[in-house]
Amino acid sequence: MSERIEEAPQSVRPRSKTSPQDGSKLLGHLQFGKFSGVYCFALIFLLFAVWVPDTFLTSVTWKAILISQAFTGILALALLAPLATGMFDLSVAQTMGFSAVVCGLLTTKGPQLGLVPAIIVTLAVGVCIGMFNGFLCGILGLDSLIATLGTTSLLTGLAAALAKGSFVGPFSSSMTGLTSGSLFGVPIIAVYMLILGVIVWYALEHTPIGRRAYASGASPDAARLSGVRTQRYRFWSLVLCSTIAAGAGVLLASSLNSVSQTAGPEYLLPAFSAAFLGTTQIKPGRFNVWGTVLAIIILGTGIQGLQLAGADIWITNIFFGSALILALSTSLIVQRARGRREVKATQEERRQAGA
Amino acid sequence: MEPDAQAFHGGLDGVVPTASGDTKLALEGLTKTFQGQRALDGVSLDLRAGEIHCLLGQNGSGKSTLIKMLAGYHAPDAGTAVVDGESMELGSAAAAQQHGLRFIHQDLALIDSMSVVDNLALGESYQGKWWLSERKEKKHAQKIFADYDIDVDVSELLVGLSTASQTMTAIVRALHHGDAARGILVLDEPTASLSEQDKEHLFGLLREIKARGGTLLYVTHRLHEVFELADRVTVLRDGRKVATRDVDTLSHDSLIELILGRPLEAVYPDPPAPGSDIVLDIKGLRGGTLDDFTGTVRAGEIVGIVGLSGSGSEEIPQLIFGARRLEAGEVTLMGQPIAPRSPWHGVRCGLALVPGDRKRLGVIGTWTLRENVTLPRVRGRGPLGWLGRRHEAQDVAPFMEQCEVKPNDPEATISSLSGGNQQKIMIARWLRTGAKALLLEEPTAGVDVGSKSAIYKQLYQAAKGGTAVLMSTTDLEEASAVCDRVYVIRGGRVGAELSGDQLTPDVLLGEALRLPDSLTSTGTTNERTPS
Repeated sequence: MSERIEEAPQSVRPRSKTSPQDGSKLLGHLQFGKFSGVYCFALIFLLFAVWVPDTFLTSVTWKAILISQAFTGILALALLAPLATGMFDLSVAQTMGFSAVVCGLLTTKGPQLGLVPAIIVTLAVGVCIGMFNGFLCGILGLDSLIATLGTTSLLTGLAAALAKGSFVGPFSSSMTGLTSGSLFGVPIIAVYMLILGVIVWYALEHTPIGRRAYASGASPDAARLSGVRTQRYRFWSLVLCSTIAAGAGVLLASSLNSVSQTAGPEYLLPAFSAAFLGTTQIKPGRFNVWGTVLAIIILGTGIQGLQLAGADIWITNIFFGSALILALSTSLIVQRARGRREVKATQEERRQAGA
Repeated sequence: MEPDAQAFHGGLDGVVPTASGDTKLALEGLTKTFQGQRALDGVSLDLRAGEIHCLLGQNGSGKSTLIKMLAGYHAPDAGTAVVDGESMELGSAAAAQQHGLRFIHQDLALIDSMSVVDNLALGESYQGKWWLSERKEKKHAQKIFADYDIDVDVSELLVGLSTASQTMTAIVRALHHGDAARGILVLDEPTASLSEQDKEHLFGLLREIKARGGTLLYVTHRLHEVFELADRVTVLRDGRKVATRDVDTLSHDSLIELILGRPLEAVYPDPPAPGSDIVLDIKGLRGGTLDDFTGTVRAGEIVGIVGLSGSGSEEIPQLIFGARRLEAGEVTLMGQPIAPRSPWHGVRCGLALVPGDRKRLGVIGTWTLRENVTLPRVRGRGPLGWLGRRHEAQDVAPFMEQCEVKPNDPEATISSLSGGNQQKIMIARWLRTGAKALLLEEPTAGVDVGSKSAIYKQLYQAAKGGTAVLMSTTDLEEASAVCDRVYVIRGGRVGAELSGDQLTPDVLLGEALRLPDSLTSTGTTNERTPS
């Protein structure tokens, strides 16, 4: 009774395994869309290598790029977790700034804690901030954009109250030592970012937990009805984000050697830009680690190059903004075109299957 | 309840007059090639004035290409169109509009946040040109609706209306200020999201339009609608026209044969013999609009749940699964009492849910087939739970093959698949988890005939393997053909339990409408509705 039905799929199966398609898949891996960032980077690199060769092609420049972008990078990586589950954590940068103040105060004022206890307490503060966000957005179900905006304001106020409007610091040498070294010539702070990148990449893109986190963001209802506890994933993604941001706060304090309450916010937009730019690279349409890292390197190189070429400081903002808008709109256009092609291809395959 | 019954009766008794009008639309030798593949191959079609003409065919048969060509979305490589004796340019939306062609797509293209009056005006322009008088517009709209005997409050916002009323608003809007005879109405699966009772309302309207000389081209997957509604039918297969026939000369089986190009027996396979062991036992289920549902599913048995919209029947699968708040009730699965508090818990108890709203609640559209299949149970390898693409693809391959998913490529994006193949992925997803009870909502909504048979086959196989299969459906033909036993839900309770010979679409509808006697004894019933 069922033999007749099976005819159709059998006629399709061999076709989908023929070599032309495999060939096009291989091409797909190298296609412009997924790795346009690499080409962009090459372009920017060439531009400045020709424009300002004396200053641009030096190791000092590259170290400066890595150091200046490491904090943006760490925050962007921290953001990937909540972005994957469909949450925006706008308080991420202020969490870093607040934690920097807290860590600075713990080591210099009052009980004058040692370095390790101070770090532990700061991370615990980060966990608490994350749980607060997580409760509001993940459990209660507030719009994350608005709730974390509120948290940002709370943290700004608290940081000002704690710091009392003055700088905290300088710190002990063990504290500043956290960020002053280098490994094989690479600034240690960039190494931290890279290690964090590997961990986030593994957890988010290659574990069942990460897959379910993505599902919670991609289609919360479908994920829930497939047995994913979306609330928990949203809650913990926000906790994770704030904890990493608190860790970044410790590093920020150590790197600056004196922090004020205003140290954090300037990193917010670059971090979000990097995460969103990352969605156009490597795994288009998804927040992914290496896309984000690539985006940070491109942005950092571009800005450093412009500054070396003597551009004013405001050019930085223009550069960030236009890069973000340009990358997202081109990738959208490319994706639409590809979607159209895909639909046509499947229609065709169906037709062949019928024939 | 009373008007519904009347509508139903009207549908049965109203003898369809043979349409013998002049040719309204003549399509000649339509051919379209996409990247070397023939989508349409010399298709000719003529619509007579004042007839309801059904266009049938499996997904990929060229139906949608033809409709899109009429709507001006594609230009043909060859072929001509003549409307009312005047030649019409194909592939131009403006020309189609000008020649009076109107389209009702599944997505009705109405604006939810605006009133019926405004939606109507967006289709055909307001009455006043320089000054909008709400009173005047409202009166005009009321007049048209009253003219067609449609009970809709025209000042209500679209969101506040039932799906059926929304569909009817869209149809009225397409009617050239109420003048049915002027244009050609093309409807693309308008009943896909309607309940049986709403469908009768809609059919009443379509028959009325026809009676006033309107010409309708009607695209559908549901064959019994053809027999209820159409005068003639054209079947496409693989881009070619198979036949145009008078509906009177066709039987349900011969129509399926035309569509599939093979005999019917394969669509509804023989049901497996039910065993005696009770797999799923439900007692006193209550929640939402459901008051009390008690029922069982035995091994090897497919049990259906039908009911009018609002009766609570559509809530049962999600209530059992833990997706909706359960107020009371006991569920026993293979002798183990379970009480799922959430879908997560339901999955762990061995339940599976295939939701009716596939797009929103079922699949994750931007993901690959592989990721969609593994979602309920994502398994990594090694102590760190490494999730690799190749390993996952191997994991899903047997299930995709079993469900005959086309294309059989785990890396394809699921939104690029047809509805039928997406549904196969949903089934494959739960086969992979080895669910002990499969709960389905509208298992074949928006699924073509070919995929339907593949899906039924999987359900039978699952049932044979000892899985409890429970499905809620509004397709009564499906319920009577696929299920061994059907619970009819009325007002939140089990109104009837039918099996064996009692299981026909008419008895089911009768029971759902609480009209048990009058319908089954009507002589015409069995002739008009295929069993």
